[in-house]
Amino acid sequence: MTTFLQNCFAGLSLGSTYALVALGFVVIYKSTGVINFAQGGLLALGAYLGYTFSNNLAVAFAVAVLLCCLSAALVGATFERIVLRRMVGQPPFAVIMITIGLLFVLEPLITAVWGFEHKQVDNPWNIRTVEAFGLVFGVRDLWTIGLTAAVVLAFFLFFRFTSLGLAMRVTAFDPEAALAQGISARKVYATSWAIAAALAALAGILMAAGPGGLTPSIGFIALAAFPAMILGGMDSPAGAVLGGLIIGLAEAITRGYQDRLFSWAGDNVSVIVPYLLMIVILLIRPYGLLGTKEVRRI
Amino acid sequence: MVRTKRWTAVSALAATALLVAACGGAGDDGGSGGGQAGEPATTAGFDGTTIKLGVLSPLSGPVAVIGQPLTSGNKVWFDHINSQGGIAGKYRVELVQEDTQYKPDVTVQQYNKVKGDVVAFTQILGTAPTLAVLPLLQSDEMIAAPASLDAFWVREPNLLPIGAPYQIQSINAMDHYLSEGGGTTDSTICTMIQDDVYGEAGQEGIDFAAKEYGFEVANTQRFKVGTENYAGQIGALAGAGCEMVFLTATPTDAGKIWGTAAQAKFTPKWYAQSPSFVSALAKSAVAPYMRQYVTIAAEGTEWGDESVPGMKDMIDRVEQYAPNQEPDYYFAFGYNQARAMTALLEKAVELGDLSHAGLLRASEELGTVSFDGLTGDYTYGPADTRNPPRSTTLFSVDPSKPFGLATLKYDFTSEAAKKFEFQKADA
Repeated sequence: MTTFLQNCFAGLSLGSTYALVALGFVVIYKSTGVINFAQGGLLALGAYLGYTFSNNLAVAFAVAVLLCCLSAALVGATFERIVLRRMVGQPPFAVIMITIGLLFVLEPLITAVWGFEHKQVDNPWNIRTVEAFGLVFGVRDLWTIGLTAAVVLAFFLFFRFTSLGLAMRVTAFDPEAALAQGISARKVYATSWAIAAALAALAGILMAAGPGGLTPSIGFIALAAFPAMILGGMDSPAGAVLGGLIIGLAEAITRGYQDRLFSWAGDNVSVIVPYLLMIVILLIRPYGLLGTKEVRRI
Repeated sequence: MVRTKRWTAVSALAATALLVAACGGAGDDGGSGGGQAGEPATTAGFDGTTIKLGVLSPLSGPVAVIGQPLTSGNKVWFDHINSQGGIAGKYRVELVQEDTQYKPDVTVQQYNKVKGDVVAFTQILGTAPTLAVLPLLQSDEMIAAPASLDAFWVREPNLLPIGAPYQIQSINAMDHYLSEGGGTTDSTICTMIQDDVYGEAGQEGIDFAAKEYGFEVANTQRFKVGTENYAGQIGALAGAGCEMVFLTATPTDAGKIWGTAAQAKFTPKWYAQSPSFVSALAKSAVAPYMRQYVTIAAEGTEWGDESVPGMKDMIDRVEQYAPNQEPDYYFAFGYNQARAMTALLEKAVELGDLSHAGLLRASEELGTVSFDGLTGDYTYGPADTRNPPRSTTLFSVDPSKPFGLATLKYDFTSEAAKKFEFQKADA
């Protein structure tokens, strides 16, 4: 039982990171209809900005986290303002290609500024642990879970109770009706990009604070978070969080019981589990667990 | 009509001539022949004064963290050689660098782009990129120095490897654990390996040692590069009661693995293959755990150890030609690669033939090349009889050292390592 709970905790921590990244995907998709393939690049950028604030500028880690999220949000909103605003009304495919372009621009940009070397982010968590109920909890993992829960709660409160959140929901539901009501689609799109970039940055700095440190390949996790978004439903923020947690738990538990239950299927079953889950759930629910089913008039 | 037919014929002839010229293009030796001992004739990559060497390395992308210092090592050595007048004291060396991004397909493209302009490749970084260009090397009679320690390079005539292969590192590490590290054949010995060729090379050495010393590998955990959470694997190793774990990984994964082990209070004796370590780990939060439980199997000596002649020379040359170069294991590897290539070029000049085929012939006559203690001496010659070094140096993690490693046991060879036989990749 201890092993199972320990694996569940690992899965929750991993799933929280997936949830943050997947939520970023969903925020942009929901408001603009575009899948942002640059989410991994924004994650890496946020992590490196966090490194600069924490190590080079020596600000307190909590402040560094806040600053890196704000800086990434500014980058996201600026990109939307300068590049994507010109693409309003253009086919989503063209915009998706631009996000792919941004990903390819960010990678060399990051290495040009920060180099390729392995870096360690100064942070108060490191590999510290606390023990309770016979289980060992990594402090960074606890913070990852806690911060994700707080951010998700803030996110839903923002959408539910603020005028900008309402504007974003209305624009996502019917852009033309929103425009007719005087809602600024530009403001909504810029806000979406800022939120998505900030979420990516938070995921990035939380990952970089771990023992693996920081390398330019940190953004690859976005690929693993992609099934979480699909599984949860591409237009559902709650689905993204749920999908992230399911994928994280499934991966960690499969890995934990690899030797006992899955050795017949090879050595790395946990790697394919997210994709298997995605396929199975899409076969049953083509719009994901909490995605909106498209209504068609016949 | 007659005019049209004549033009068609002329066009066809011109096209044929172009085609013939193109076929004799990049891959052709283009040598003018007539070279003599000590005075090789001009050929592809050699204009009579300058020898051009190819470098196919990931200079961008995640593996550039290895490719850049490695290439810097190549450069510093050849800067030193050029300052002495060049190969055989008269032929300067120029490097032609191309970025492979560590992608086999890009490596093949870059190889084809420059193969007609170089006499050989002094670096091709990585197992997969090297395997991708190997058939081309064979058909072009080209020789290249692979920047990886895979054992199956030893028997490839078109490759000029250096260093003791990964299998030797793991065999010697096991020997140390069983003879001086507190282990016995009854100890619970486990492995944790990347699920790729590099990981399998380490595992092959451990399996060989298991037969030689009579122990069993109690548990093996395989992982994919870039895994984010290692709680499952560490839990399985702890559950199996592993007293010693041999690790083949790259630094980012190794950091996460040791961090997870430290958090889980899993404290076996770890031995890790050389690419698992990077100096940043010695400054990380995992360093105290690594200092206590981790031993790194590599070659040569610690950075700055001037008791080893090769290290003293290398440090002097770094100060002269690359003063901003940080202490780096891969830099030393690139530096040694360039030394091996220099020995080959000297032999080819001596035989009077710097053509691709000439270098291949020279490699068969190349004897033992010494690296002055930076890595083990390598006995070259015909690929079937080559004998790579069988020695390993064990390091402990010490943040106060320039590269974060302190010599634990310098340059030793186990009896089991001497018995290991190297096979060709397809054998």
